[in-house]
Amino acid sequence: MSTLTHRTTRPASIALAATLLLAPLAALAPASPAQEVTINPSSSSTSERWLHVRVVETNHKGETVRVNVPLEMAEKVLPAINKDRLHNGKVQINHSDIEGVDLKALLEAVRSSKDGEYVTVQSNENDVRVAKQAGYMVIHVTEKGFKPSKLDQEKDKSDKSADKSEKSYERSRVDVKVPMKVVEALLSAGKDELDVLAALRALSAHGGDTELVTVKSDDSTVRVWLDSKNVSD
Amino acid sequence: MMILAKLALGTATTLMVAGVYVFREGTVRVDVDEHREGGAHVHLWAPAAVVPMALHFVPDDKLRDVTAHSSEWAPLARIAAKELRKYPNTTFVEVEDGEQHVKVSTVGTKIQVDVTDPEEDVHVAVPLTMINDVIAQIAARQPAS
Repeated sequence: MSTLTHRTTRPASIALAATLLLAPLAALAPASPAQEVTINPSSSSTSERWLHVRVVETNHKGETVRVNVPLEMAEKVLPAINKDRLHNGKVQINHSDIEGVDLKALLEAVRSSKDGEYVTVQSNENDVRVAKQAGYMVIHVTEKGFKPSKLDQEKDKSDKSADKSEKSYERSRVDVKVPMKVVEALLSAGKDELDVLAALRALSAHGGDTELVTVKSDDSTVRVWLDSKNVSD
Repeated sequence: MMILAKLALGTATTLMVAGVYVFREGTVRVDVDEHREGGAHVHLWAPAAVVPMALHFVPDDKLRDVTAHSSEWAPLARIAAKELRKYPNTTFVEVEDGEQHVKVSTVGTKIQVDVTDPEEDVHVAVPLTMINDVIAQIAARQPAS
C-alpha cells in the first residue's frame, strides 16, 4: 500500500468508525423531546374544538381566570377519571340530588318538546326562562336584587315605621345555550346517569363558534364558549 | 500517537453517547427566586432521565403513600401527559389577580408552571416524557395486593 493510500485510508476509517458509533444517536434523535415545535399560538387545526372558560372578577383585585381545554383531550382524559360519582365518563345522579328536581326527566321533557318557550317562572327573587330554539336549549336566569330608593332612604332616617318601596334591579344574569344534540347525548346513558363523555363528543362534533354560558353579576363575569382557537380572546 | 488519538476518539464518543442518552428526554428546570432580602435563589437544571433513575434509590417507606394510590391517578396522569404532547406552546390555565400570576402551559414538549408573586417567582418545566417514566417507576414499586 502506498503512503498516499495509507494517508487517505486512515482518516476515512476513523470517519467511518465515528459515523458507525454515532449512528444510534441519529436513531435516538427523533424521539428526543428536546426538539421544540413552534406553532402560531392563535391558530390551531380547524377540526380542533376548544372549550374556553373565562372568569373576570370586578373587585379591587380584578382577578382573571382563563382556561383553554381542547375537547379531544378532554374526551381522552375524562374516562380515566374514576372518582366519586364520575366513572367512565358518566356521572351517577339521584333524583334527590338537585333539591328534589329530577334532572333527567326535566332534560328529557326539553328534548321531546317542540321549539318555543315552554317554561317561564317569575318570582320576586328570580326570573327563569327555559326554551328550545333552533336546535338549542336556551336557559335564562335573572336574579333580582332590591335597593331602596333615595326617597325611602330619607324616610328611613325620619320614620322607621314608614312604608318602603324597594326598587328591583338585575343582580345577576345567567344565559345558557346548549345544542340539543349535546342534551340528547347527555341523556343517552342508563337510568340515573348522565353521559358526560357522549356530551363532550357531541359538543366536539358541533360546528361553529358557540357561546355556551354567560354569567354577568355585580362582581364578576363568567363566559364559557367553544371555538377552534387555542387561546381565549 | 495513533493510540492516543484512538483513545481520545473513544472517550469523546463514549461521553457523547452518554450525554445524548442522559439528555435524550430533555431537562428538568426549577427556578425559585425569593424577593425578600437574603431570599433564596434556586436554579436547578437537571437531565430528566436522571429523575426516574433516582427513584430507584428512594426507600419504599417514603414512596408508600404515593404508590398506594397510584392506581387512581396514574392512568389519568399517563393519558394527560400523552395528550398534552399534542399541544405544544399552549396556555391551558392562567390566573391573574393584579399581584399574582399563575400560568400552566406547554412549551414545546415540556409542561411549564410559572408563578409570579410579589414575594417569590417560581418556574418549573418538566418534560412530558419524564412523567411517563416516573409513573412507570412508581407503578413498578406498587406493593402487590
